[in-house]
Amino acid sequence: MNSEDIKLQELLRGNRSAPAMPPRFQQKVWRRIEDADAPAASGSWLDALAGLILRPRFAFATAAVLLIAGGVLGTHEGSLAARHDAQARYVAYVAPNPLR
Amino acid sequence: MNRSLVILLGALAVGAAIFAGSYYTSQRTCTMCVSNPADKLAWLQDEFHLSNAEMTHIRALHEGYEPKCREMCARVAEKKSELAIALGDGTNITAEVKQKLVELGELRAQCQAQMLQHFVNVSQAMPPEQGRRYLAEMKKFTLGFHEDIEQSMSDHAGHEHGTN
Repeated sequence: MNSEDIKLQELLRGNRSAPAMPPRFQQKVWRRIEDADAPAASGSWLDALAGLILRPRFAFATAAVLLIAGGVLGTHEGSLAARHDAQARYVAYVAPNPLR
Repeated sequence: MNRSLVILLGALAVGAAIFAGSYYTSQRTCTMCVSNPADKLAWLQDEFHLSNAEMTHIRALHEGYEPKCREMCARVAEKKSELAIALGDGTNITAEVKQKLVELGELRAQCQAQMLQHFVNVSQAMPPEQGRRYLAEMKKFTLGFHEDIEQSMSDHAGHEHGTN
């Protein structure tokens, strides 16, 4: 490379204008880097619900609530049915169908 | 299929199975524990909160009533078979059939009167408030039975008139 080439290169370098950066360019770049590093957010409410169901504490609590609710309701219905049967037995005993 | 949806449906199925299993088990257990098929009067004691002394009196009343009730049942059954014979295969309502119907009706009326008298006797062996409740309940079962039939027949007739 001769001296003229060197001069030409310096001239060109001095002449190149650096484009102005958009406002808060650096912040935006860092934010995009952070977003890319973060774990992917859940896609929908269904994924969030499935995640909740798979938590052991939630699963056991729900199972316990269902077990208790079923037991209470079943006991209530059972006692009503037993009472109804006992009443029907008594009525059949004192007032048989042919007499009514 | 979406994994989350499969998890959700599976959880719903497991939850429903837990609830249903618990419900049916407790219902059956309760029914078996509470009911006492051998004692036909058990319902009275539970429903009307009767003491053992009151129950002893009521049991005696029922034991006195039972043979009368059995006899009435036999007489009603006999009269019904006489009516069936009188009806035969004929298509006319003969004077004999009418007579048998009248006799059957009279027998049923006697029986209902005897039954009501028994209910009155039992109600008097209970505390007054419970006695009133018992009598009202028993009237509903004995007399209400016919009222239901008559009501349903008159409703039916009313609908038919409405359509004509």
